[in-house]
Amino acid sequence: MGGGNAPRRLSGMQKQVLALYRGFLRAARSKSPDDRRRIDSVVSSEFRRNAHQVDRKNFLYIEYLLRRGKKQLDQLKSPDTTGLSSLSFAPPSQSVGSHK
Amino acid sequence: MASVSAASVAFRALSKPPLKSNETSRLKIVSLGWRKNGFPSLRSSRLHVSCAQAKPETVDKVCEIVRKQLALPAEADLTPESKFSAIGADSLDTVEIVMALEEEFGISVEEESSQNITTVQEAADLIEKLVQKKPEA
Repeated sequence: MGGGNAPRRLSGMQKQVLALYRGFLRAARSKSPDDRRRIDSVVSSEFRRNAHQVDRKNFLYIEYLLRRGKKQLDQLKSPDTTGLSSLSFAPPSQSVGSHK
Repeated sequence: MASVSAASVAFRALSKPPLKSNETSRLKIVSLGWRKNGFPSLRSSRLHVSCAQAKPETVDKVCEIVRKQLALPAEADLTPESKFSAIGADSLDTVEIVMALEEEFGISVEEESSQNITTVQEAADLIEKLVQKKPEA
């Protein structure tokens, strides 16, 4: 459906990023509340950090991040995965707390 | 055939402002179908009708969730017409808001429609529509 009244047009790449973000949040829902909170905060800070730091015209790098993110999401979707600590995502400045 | 019977519902609804919520819901779904078939002149009327649409409880609940999600201070102004961008939400926040709404109302918002939500009212209208589509999802 072409909702023609949307004031803000997102680029295809922006949509991909948002879809990936949604995918992560959805995948996190299937985890235990504790894991989920941790995953949500890691994912959210990672996306926000990149949103601020990455030049929005740096398409190659964004595409790389998208590919990497998709792989990580696939891993996260596996029921055995309980966290993202193995992905060493968290920026060093921010201590996300306990690692598994 | 479907669109013919739909037309009579819609016109009845449009000519009579005081509506039961059941009737209006049908109107909304119906005119969505029209949009697909391309009745551009009706699009604005759909929007107009759906603006006066979602129940106050739904709007309140959406406001509450938006406040929580954005960690807005209690004194911050938040009206149904508030644009998410105006209250400091970026597109990532909007995704989070939609996800929180999905969980709260037990619905599933499609990717595309969620990207068109820009105000509390629009969110509430969409939710109302989805909730009525599948009551106990």
